[in-house]
Amino acid sequence: MNKAIQIDCLRKSYGGHTVLKEISFQIEKGEIFALLGINGAGKTTALECIEGLKKYESGTITVNGTMGIQLQSSSLPAHIKPMEAMRLFSKWNNVKIDDTLIHSLGLWEIEKKQYGQLSAGQKRRLHLALALVSNPDIIFLDEPTAGLDVEGRLSLHNQIRKLKSQGKTVVLASHDMAEVETLCDRIAILNDGKIVFCGTASELTDTIGKKYFIHIKTERGTETIEADSIEDVLLSLLGELKQKGIKVLDIKVDKGTLEQHFMEIARRVEK
Amino acid sequence: MNAFLYGVALQWKLDIRSKSLLVTCYVVPLIFFLLMGGIFTSVMPDMKDTLIPSMIVMGVSMGAFIGLPPSLIETYGSDIKKVYKANGVPLYLGLITMAISAFVHLMMMCIIIVLLAPILFEAALPSDLPIFFMALAVYVIVSLSIGSILGLVVKNQAKLTMIAQLVFLPSIMLSGIMFPIELLPKTFELVGEIFPASWGYKLMIDDGFQIENMWYLILVLGAAIIVCGLLLRKQKSN
Repeated sequence: MNKAIQIDCLRKSYGGHTVLKEISFQIEKGEIFALLGINGAGKTTALECIEGLKKYESGTITVNGTMGIQLQSSSLPAHIKPMEAMRLFSKWNNVKIDDTLIHSLGLWEIEKKQYGQLSAGQKRRLHLALALVSNPDIIFLDEPTAGLDVEGRLSLHNQIRKLKSQGKTVVLASHDMAEVETLCDRIAILNDGKIVFCGTASELTDTIGKKYFIHIKTERGTETIEADSIEDVLLSLLGELKQKGIKVLDIKVDKGTLEQHFMEIARRVEK
Repeated sequence: MNAFLYGVALQWKLDIRSKSLLVTCYVVPLIFFLLMGGIFTSVMPDMKDTLIPSMIVMGVSMGAFIGLPPSLIETYGSDIKKVYKANGVPLYLGLITMAISAFVHLMMMCIIIVLLAPILFEAALPSDLPIFFMALAVYVIVSLSIGSILGLVVKNQAKLTMIAQLVFLPSIMLSGIMFPIELLPKTFELVGEIFPASWGYKLMIDDGFQIENMWYLILVLGAAIIVCGLLLRKQKSN
């Protein structure tokens, strides 16, 4: 069985507002999978339904493996110390604490501090360690790098890649396109409670179409132009600039970032 | 079992680190005891006979109604409760560990009062200490059950401060611990009977450990357990 998680027609409402509109997708074993979406798109609700933290009205969720859940910050008492939390979680799960986990996440450095005194990055590290205490097959990370500095983000990215190399399945919710682009094997985009895309980043590019972004730098400044064909647009643009006597300093062409694709998908859905 | 005991011990330590619980379970009740003990026994020497139960009723009421609920709100009014669900731990375990921890703290505060009152104010010790502590344990448990309802119902600390006072103040003023209940107008006396403090006080005074003083406390405890169960069930279904 290669599916770690299978979701079929999952529906969840709060009051009269439907947050998840019968979404379906699957997550393969051993992959890093991201649920992408703007704030309020339903990412956290979807994750919490899969994790068993929230009930849902209809649909089926099949999870093949044990789960470890990294909760968001502020989900521990302010006065608890990191190692006390680790001990409590290990006793709840009836497992021994893995010393390598403590060392690799640098928990010894913060063992004397109370949870309320930890920085955002230290809290994230602790929550990741707590999620990994029971050595789960599937790890859920909700906005894992929100509020972290560059160093903290890179460190956490390395930890996530390490989990993948150990054969773990990692499911993360994020609205950070750059993070998802560098980390994930596949992504699902949630928009207004629906999955509007599910696949790899390159498949997303193909879905959007042959769209190019031409960044042209002249003595008057830099401009970015979206185009479906490079030749036609570039030739007419260069001709126009030459006619006006504007000197071109640099030209760059790329196929856009995941963020730009996401915005395009969102725009299409709105239409 | 191991996890449960570790959870209780950890909660006990967290409560010591939490200054608010230290204040409500130890500092304020003991300062009140030192001040009022001196005043009461000087103004009304007869109060030496009832000083220990009356000061204990005040301290326990404060710890249970004002000290315990904020810890519960911190857990059940926030994402902390998800930690229980995420680890497959029953949601009621948090409530039980917090209540047991508060129980131990309150008993310790009461022991301090029992030890100091005879020395400082020549207060009379209860004639039967084991029975007295049994009565005390019943009263602490019932008070904590009411504190638990407050902590599960009220969702924010500001509202809690106000609502807890609505339970705490009548408990103190109308239970007979400050002055004989017979001096109160009949209506106030009846209102005082609603609050467990007056029953707890009667239960703790000499020869008071009788079923006629206990049935109401057992009734309140039973009702509180049902209400807490329903509130936790609601939290779980959310």
